Amino acid sequence: MKKKVLSTILALTMTASVLTACGSSDSASTDTAEQTEETTEAAEETAEEATEEEATEETAEETAEEATEEEATEETAEATDVEKPEKITMMVDGTLVTQENGRDEFEAAWEALTGIDLEINQPDHDAYYDQVGQVMASGELPDVILLDSTRYTSYATMGVLADITDIYEGSDLQAKVSAAGNDALIEGIKIDGKLYGFTPTRGNGCVTYVKKAWLDNLGLEAPTTYEEYTAMLEAFTTGDPDGNGVDGDTYGVSAAGFIGGEAPYINYLPEFYQDAYPGFYQKDDGTWADGFTEDAMKEALQRIADANAAGIIDPETLTNGTSDCRNKFYEDKFGVFTYWAGTWATNLKTNLEANGLDGELVALEPIAEVGNYIERIAPVWCITSACQNVEGVYKYFIETMLDGADVQMLWQYGVEGVHWSTAAEEVCGNTYAEGEFHMLENLEKEGTQYTKNHLDPNLVLSPLDNDPGQDAIAEEAKSAAELFSANSVVADLPITTDAMQQYNGDLTTLKNELVANVAQGKITVDEAYEQFESQGGAEWSQAIVDSLNQ
Amino acid sequence: MSKKIDEQTKKNLAILKEANKRSTIKRMKKYRGFYVMFLPVFVLALIFHYIPMIGNIYAFTDYKGIAGMKVNWVGLENFAKMFSMAAFHSAFWNTLFLSIIKLILNTGAAVIISLFLNEMVNIHFKKITQTIIYLPHFMSWVVTASVFTLILSPTSEGMVNTLLLKAGLIDKGIYFLAEDTWWKPMFFVINLWKDTGWGTIIFLATLSGISPDIYEAASIDGAGRFQKMRYITMPALQNTIITVLILNLAKVMNLFESVFVLQNDAVLSTSNVLQTYVYYQTFNSGTIPNYGYTTAVGLTKSIVGCILVLVCNWASKKVRDGRGIV
Repeated sequence: MKKKVLSTILALTMTASVLTACGSSDSASTDTAEQTEETTEAAEETAEEATEEEATEETAEETAEEATEEEATEETAEATDVEKPEKITMMVDGTLVTQENGRDEFEAAWEALTGIDLEINQPDHDAYYDQVGQVMASGELPDVILLDSTRYTSYATMGVLADITDIYEGSDLQAKVSAAGNDALIEGIKIDGKLYGFTPTRGNGCVTYVKKAWLDNLGLEAPTTYEEYTAMLEAFTTGDPDGNGVDGDTYGVSAAGFIGGEAPYINYLPEFYQDAYPGFYQKDDGTWADGFTEDAMKEALQRIADANAAGIIDPETLTNGTSDCRNKFYEDKFGVFTYWAGTWATNLKTNLEANGLDGELVALEPIAEVGNYIERIAPVWCITSACQNVEGVYKYFIETMLDGADVQMLWQYGVEGVHWSTAAEEVCGNTYAEGEFHMLENLEKEGTQYTKNHLDPNLVLSPLDNDPGQDAIAEEAKSAAELFSANSVVADLPITTDAMQQYNGDLTTLKNELVANVAQGKITVDEAYEQFESQGGAEWSQAIVDSLNQ
Repeated sequence: MSKKIDEQTKKNLAILKEANKRSTIKRMKKYRGFYVMFLPVFVLALIFHYIPMIGNIYAFTDYKGIAGMKVNWVGLENFAKMFSMAAFHSAFWNTLFLSIIKLILNTGAAVIISLFLNEMVNIHFKKITQTIIYLPHFMSWVVTASVFTLILSPTSEGMVNTLLLKAGLIDKGIYFLAEDTWWKPMFFVINLWKDTGWGTIIFLATLSGISPDIYEAASIDGAGRFQKMRYITMPALQNTIITVLILNLAKVMNLFESVFVLQNDAVLSTSNVLQTYVYYQTFNSGTIPNYGYTTAVGLTKSIVGCILVLVCNWASKKVRDGRGIV
């Protein structure tokens, strides 16, 4: 009997704990539940509004014009009368300092500066967009969310993001961005003339770094044309650029795959792709095209196949990850690496030096055939349609991010005493005098210093009024960033259509497979395009292009 | 007369039904403790296995993964698209081929190793061997893939290629993981290395259950080691082998991690399985994926898996004297 009673109690306890675990949540759960309902309502309203708009387009346009005029008048009157939110919920990836790296201190400092309760949802960086998908599906949307350009356009098109065009126009933030000459970057993320988010930084991109010691050892100059570039790679592959007395034990260039996994796809091997682009892009006349179907892409594929057959590209390129490439670069196995501009120039240098190698790198200006590097569109901070106080969140969250003062300082460098300091001390072997700004030791990675928080000081659209960190930015990082800024064009904003949703998964997989097979010499370029045709790629590509041009 | 019999039969059946009902309630009352113990499992299964099945309905819609957004019914459109896609067909057959061959090889190897282990006289050596062959099972697939990518590297750093080159068997490194002809054999070898040891546990358990008296009697009758293995050990293992094969056959559609970490763009047509196909549909689309379509693929996979379970059950009944697995 006792056993029965005991087993009954145990079973009931387990059941209760299961139900409790399923139902439990933090204090935000009630808010979230309410928010879910509100989101659903908001989305329904948006859908209804959209239908109504279609039905009475002309009337709506007239009303909109009137409304805009009215709003403009009201805005002037209410410019300083925006309701301050009591609480803001945000979702961000691992580019903000993580919990282990002092996120709580960041949150406390931000709350102290703004007087607003901030709730941060920061999933694991690698699983961030899985989580974003789940959040979108559940309807438990935060007030603000960080999205990459693909998801930014997709969710904006689907009505999940708030239109902030009118709020941004004429705001202090716009004035600052204009003053820094960065209006074009914000214009570049407008969808049909409307703004659904804000990018506080440039998108950055990759520049080609060459080991200076290798050039010097072989008596070479930095290449300026494709011919010189391939000659350099060949010399690096067949000669003894690392000076270890063995010819032919090194490679010219390496990359994590022959084609990138996301836009702009070609940024790890720009010298081979040159003017080719394997994705959808907008031509000068405004029409859309699939670059994969153009002659430029065929020529690029031939260049890659030839270079790979000649052995000047790392034979493991196909199975390399980016960390594999970095490690091989640090171990002096190859000499040319196209990687991120800015702070990565310093990282590459210090890691080479840590291995006892010469860390000096030459950041190449784009060779003549490349013309420009491609700058990706930076992740966009968006206010969701679930937000009840869009103007308030814009003013107190987005606008303060580039306030030029304390809040920007937080986003850029983190918290004093946790992430940076001006005290006289020694950090990771570097000695700093009293009053000298410096970053502190990484709480997670002992022996390394922080370089920044969420905003890269090299890339912000509007700098701090008195940026104490500017002097701490290494010269090579500054010059690589400047070289990139002066020699790059911003990638096109990806646009979403139903046809793209239908076919682009299969199409991209097919393109990637064909590129890899041509690169490996399994098939010729002509055979690749025959397969592209026979396996439906051409048909899917045309369907997407047609939908984009509609 | 026959009418009377019919009425009587109906009455009897009703009484029987009522009695059964009462006896069921009585039984439930009697064993209420067990039912209460079953409750947590039932709740868990309901919440995490049955309620999510409602999501399968998205296979018939153009669901875009956004709460509150209007979902349109598209009927069987997603399934029509799926069957028209060559990549789906190749992923489907790759799934079956890779899983079934892997299952046969792993089970076969596990049986052979179990027999060898069973024949080991030195207990200390046997235990060390067992520990060593179990260890790979606890390595994550990501680490396993990294290790084998290095071992199979086409450069001078690849152990296999270096040995082959030094032996004069090849004159140029083979890119084992990027060539269609080599990828599948390498996949099976890596799976054998990782999971065979773990698979021996169940067979060793069966072997340890064989009475030593039988072996002793066989020895008295003049049977040698091989004969004992053939006439005693193998028949004893037969039922376990069939059970293991059948139980694992039901899981053949669930192939993802081991394939995903080992594949690359050059071997997609050879290595893409249904789960990686869904993954690429989701993350290669360059936009918000068509969740309706990916759900349709997932649903098809589940239906095939379900059919396999039923076939296994049928096969089990045939070979195990009417004892099924479900």
